Amino acid sequence: MDSPLLQVENLKFRFRGQPQDVVEGISFRVGRNETLCIVGESGCGKSVTALALMGLLPRDSVRFGSGEIRFDGDSFTPSDHDRIAAMRGDRMAMIFQEPMTSLNPAFRIGDQIAEAVEQHRKCGKAKARERAVEMLRRVGIPAPEQRMNEYPHQLSGGMRQRVMIAMALANDPELLIADEPTTALDVTVQAQILDLIAELQAETGMGTIMITHDLGVVAEIATDVAVMYAGQVVEYGPAEAIFNDPQHPYTIGLMASVPTLTGPRRRLSTVPGSVPSIGQMPEGCRFSSRCPFAAPVCASRPELAEVAPGHRAACHFAPLDQTLERRA
Amino acid sequence: MSDTILKADGLKKHFHLGGGFMAETKVVRAVDGVSIEVRRGETFAIVGESGCGKSTLARLLMRLLEPTDGAIEFEERDIAGIRGRDLRELRRDMQFVFQDPFSSLNPRMSVGKLVGEPIETHRPELSRAQRRQEVARLLNIVGLRPEHADRYPHEFSGGQRQRIGIARALASNPRLVIGDEPVSALDVSVQAQVVNLLHDLKSKLDMTLVIIAHDLAVIRHMSDRVAVMYLGQVVESGPTDEIFANPRHPYTMALLSAIPEAAHGRARTRLALSGETPSPAAPPSGCRFHTRCPFAREDCATRIPELGPATTESRVACHYWQDIAADRPAAGLTPAAGRSEGAQRRFALYEAATQATTPNPKTAANAEA
Repeated sequence: MDSPLLQVENLKFRFRGQPQDVVEGISFRVGRNETLCIVGESGCGKSVTALALMGLLPRDSVRFGSGEIRFDGDSFTPSDHDRIAAMRGDRMAMIFQEPMTSLNPAFRIGDQIAEAVEQHRKCGKAKARERAVEMLRRVGIPAPEQRMNEYPHQLSGGMRQRVMIAMALANDPELLIADEPTTALDVTVQAQILDLIAELQAETGMGTIMITHDLGVVAEIATDVAVMYAGQVVEYGPAEAIFNDPQHPYTIGLMASVPTLTGPRRRLSTVPGSVPSIGQMPEGCRFSSRCPFAAPVCASRPELAEVAPGHRAACHFAPLDQTLERRA
Repeated sequence: MSDTILKADGLKKHFHLGGGFMAETKVVRAVDGVSIEVRRGETFAIVGESGCGKSTLARLLMRLLEPTDGAIEFEERDIAGIRGRDLRELRRDMQFVFQDPFSSLNPRMSVGKLVGEPIETHRPELSRAQRRQEVARLLNIVGLRPEHADRYPHEFSGGQRQRIGIARALASNPRLVIGDEPVSALDVSVQAQVVNLLHDLKSKLDMTLVIIAHDLAVIRHMSDRVAVMYLGQVVESGPTDEIFANPRHPYTMALLSAIPEAAHGRARTRLALSGETPSPAAPPSGCRFHTRCPFAREDCATRIPELGPATTESRVACHYWQDIAADRPAAGLTPAAGRSEGAQRRFALYEAATQATTPNPKTAANAEA
């Protein structure tokens, strides 16, 4: 079996002063040309996971408990900051949710893109600027030569996100991590950006990790899905399995509470309560405090066990149907 | 009593920007000639993307802003120019729920004070003890516990804060509640809780709801009738089911087809829009949508379309909606391929289990009342 582009094993860390891990032993993999969606609600640890992979968490406040990152055959730990820094922006790149705060407002966008190219390619300024123009054209920005000289505030939200993408992809990264890239955008613009990312992925064959809370976006672009809740991956598998055969109660609750555009209008299901804060997480399965199926056994942590080939769920009661029928 | 509780006619709000020494003033036509009618007891939704003027419209209807032009009638009384005591009385009958439960609650006030304040203003006849009782009743109605009255906003999650905001809005026994994106700052699972709560409250308290939102799926679940806005104007309005099944305006079609749906393997026929919404400071001539409309013809750039009747219930502002409908018989969403049987069965199991483990908030609130 050929090795995937990125494989993360048992990543575990907490922030200094916190009594519990913010990410508690998660594993996932992304292949070339594949899109892994990490989905979950606010506070589930999806964004800090991405930041940890990129080596962007403040060094002195994060404590890694364990974890191994294998990138294209190389293996290193998440605290190996120098190795990660050398790859960041070059072999792996990231785009963020709010393009206004991640672009420097005081510099022209052309210079910002060129800087990223110069940094890693050690080419001349002129070459780097050429590349910047090329990238702006590729992400669909009209009149790129003129746009190069504009400042971020002169662009609309959708255009800024395009600039971010141009910057991230300027060095032909093998892995793109996108953290809620379309959340701040209107739906019609979101559709354009998702299409653009898919197009560029098909062209370059890069692997993509998309972090999102929007199950609609997941259904549209994911090859594989990791559902996170409170720092744990609760369900993991091919997109089709997650949508058509959800096994973890949280995945089910999450999907059932999304209002739909078609089909009968019914009362929405809900996940009762809200996510407990770090320090108040229940032992074992962290979802047990909100789970309608919770039982005493849930005080021990369920393993992320295979329920079907490639499809794993971390629930003592998976596969759910059989257990519940037996109980009834 | 009339069927219409709130009515706007040719409503306009223009903001003036800039205009320093020798500088040209720019006029932003945030709301530019909107006419709507909200019927008593219904949930009316106003939907559109950022910059379409939906929030400005909500603030006009609430009279948090004064209109530049046009009329607003609340229960057959003109409220466009009222001030002072009349306005205060209007605030009692018409309340507002804000989008951001983090910035709309004063962090220095306890929940009891936050909810008690509007009671003090609008129902001064109540004694302190009665007021405390009323606060407890309101907290109960929105699914919080009476002892929460002693806590402060930062101790609550986003969903709970939104419940506090709703309790505050209900304190004066309003007949109409306007919600500006009341659930869009919340996570999906919590959003569903608040959507259900608003639905229950509406029927229980005999209110009319006006919901402003950008999320069409939420709108579909909450509303009876809907108005779609683009650049300060209503482009289409009518019963929610009809609009979602058979959108007539190209913008509504594009909006509906742009939403990714949470079901695997749906073949998509997207009506893609190029570009982005033009600035409301310089709206395009003629039909404001013509610069992005895939069906635009030459005269769309010069002739302004009227919001005219399409059926007895719905209206559309497009010169060529009939031609477009003829060319694209299935403009609406293709009926759901449906969730797989396994998923469907598990949703049912889940639903049954949640019903069994959580006490029904409705009956709890009833018992208190």
